[in-house]
Amino acid sequence: MQFLDQPPRFLFFTGKGGVGKTSIACATAIQLAENGKHVLLVSTDPASNVGQVFGISIGNHITAVPAVPNLAALEIDPQAAAQVYRDRIVGPVRGILPDDVVRGIEEQLSGACTTEIAAFDEFTALLIDSPVTDDYDHIIFDTAPTGHTIRLLQLPGAWSGFLEEGKGDASCLGPLSGLEKQREQYKAAVDALADGKRTRLILVARAQQSTLREVARTHEELAGIGLKQQYLVINGILPKIEAETDRLAAAIYQREQSSLNAIPEVLKQLPRDLVALKAFDLVGLDALRQLLIDSPYQVHEVSDLLVEVSKQSLSQLVDGIAKEGHGLVMTMGKGGVGKTTIAAAVAVELASRGLPVHLTTSDPAAHLSGTLSGSLDNLTVSRIDPHEETERYRQNVLDSKGAQLDAHGRALLEEDLRSPCTEEIAVFQAFSRIIREAGKKFVVMDTAPTGHTLLLLDATGAYHREVARQMDKAHLHYTTPMMQLQDPKQTKILIVTLAEKTPVLEAANLQEDLRRAGIEPWAWVINNSIAATKTTSALLHQRALNELVEINTVAKQLAKRYALVPMLQDEPVGVERLHELASG
Amino acid sequence: MTKSIQVFDPAMCCSSGVCGTEVDQSLVSFSADADWAKTNGAQIERFNLAQQPMDFANNKVVRDFLERSGQDALPLILVDGEFALAGRYPSRTELARWAGLTSVVEIQPLTSCCSGGKCC
Repeated sequence: MQFLDQPPRFLFFTGKGGVGKTSIACATAIQLAENGKHVLLVSTDPASNVGQVFGISIGNHITAVPAVPNLAALEIDPQAAAQVYRDRIVGPVRGILPDDVVRGIEEQLSGACTTEIAAFDEFTALLIDSPVTDDYDHIIFDTAPTGHTIRLLQLPGAWSGFLEEGKGDASCLGPLSGLEKQREQYKAAVDALADGKRTRLILVARAQQSTLREVARTHEELAGIGLKQQYLVINGILPKIEAETDRLAAAIYQREQSSLNAIPEVLKQLPRDLVALKAFDLVGLDALRQLLIDSPYQVHEVSDLLVEVSKQSLSQLVDGIAKEGHGLVMTMGKGGVGKTTIAAAVAVELASRGLPVHLTTSDPAAHLSGTLSGSLDNLTVSRIDPHEETERYRQNVLDSKGAQLDAHGRALLEEDLRSPCTEEIAVFQAFSRIIREAGKKFVVMDTAPTGHTLLLLDATGAYHREVARQMDKAHLHYTTPMMQLQDPKQTKILIVTLAEKTPVLEAANLQEDLRRAGIEPWAWVINNSIAATKTTSALLHQRALNELVEINTVAKQLAKRYALVPMLQDEPVGVERLHELASG
Repeated sequence: MTKSIQVFDPAMCCSSGVCGTEVDQSLVSFSADADWAKTNGAQIERFNLAQQPMDFANNKVVRDFLERSGQDALPLILVDGEFALAGRYPSRTELARWAGLTSVVEIQPLTSCCSGGKCC
């Protein structure tokens, strides 16, 4: 493994949920520790299972791992860190300021910005010289998923500038005023990150086109802020031998190999390692020791355990959606779980039942929406490019609201428009133009704002309530956009996930976030399930068995109703294959 | 002795207001005006209810104001600790008057064409 060759002091693993960062970080930590190095393993993953992996409980303080001499671990839970931060701000004024004021403050502090800033504050201390970290030769970070990571790592650069110049008005940096650490500490952390002799970044991906594209973006963004020491690890590659006996395995193998051949240009120059898909759950020392060793999968005995899943097809879910005759359907989930595909399949199902449908996606490749255009009579397809929309929105604000500003004021406004909220607002505004059509037909879209953003967008909520009160008195009919989203008759949110631990946990967090905004997700869709196929590959069969726990959690604990969508041999492009996908 | 201007903002994500559905013109203008006044020697402090609620709770004038009129009545502006303005942001002229910057104001153009950012 090239990424293990002469490793510097700090190793960061990054990639979206479910690609196997935690396992690879753990395996790296074990290997280095067993070579006699003193290693600290730090997890900032909200779904951290580092403790579970080593069979101990770790938590928010450095804990020695008894089974591996020289290894210690630490889990930073960003949600918990944010809660501590909120309590520190809100606690002292509870009972002093009016209750509704206190509630307003808490909602403002429930966004992604707060979570990231609080988590960063926790781990910045590990990047500087201190008695706590001096003993370690290597500190390994298993970071939060891509989008988070980018901002997490981008922020310190912005922060030191902010602190030095004392510009008190830059937007998302505000919460910094409530944090305890000093500017020297942030500065030192930034320096450590940008120093190639001290820091190596390892991008973890799967052999899938969309994932590789996302990793290419991460690579460019992080290289742009000075993290140039980057390595690429592609995890979970299906071994060729599996492809010889099973049709599904053969198709997966084909697909993976062709996406490896078509790897984005910017990633080609990075040192690259390939890690084979393993059948076993990556829990326990022996499993982890084997992960980075390139041994072929040994079939000790073919498991005769049957994979039994109750067949809930997407098509059956659509029956429930179709009943209303019109309305808004939104798919929601982390990047790479297949939101666009599921949205397209739902749209095709509805349209082939003779219902009028408008499918609108932010599909970056456009090939899916491209193949559907004009394929069904009552299906219209449109596409929204998030980057374009954000740029247009920024420009629009600068031209209108910033028109009267002098150069300095404009620079200030431009800085604020770079906040992570801006893209979400811009894209949602673009979608909300189309949402209005949902009164007459079906509108299906592959994106939805988070609950936090909805609450902020509904900042006029008090006004809506006032309108509602008066309208009720007058017995008049009315709706507000927020009411449209909260009404399950008008809006159905489908949470899309994979049958894997981290993606399910992330989806559960999304659901909680929506509930805070008074929105109840209508159903869950478990996409790309191997358990829903009839594979004969021994390796895939084992993976299918592993999926059952997660499917159970979704079915029994998380979802009101759900559908299981099988992994298909061919990419679900075009009407016919989308039908196949929906019917399970 | 320069007078100190304290601005008590409502709870918000960012002080320029770009995080809302509609970017609030008065917030954008005021951020620029406050920045301008500071550059010219005025003493301005801003407190965001979502980030520094203790400063609201510790100040009797502000706390009483919140109890009486609620958070929707923010922003509240105090000059040397005394009530100066509420319910809207001050114009550049008003900032200059409070901070005693009259000579600068005459040669500097205004950022917004009207006071308070409510018209146009």
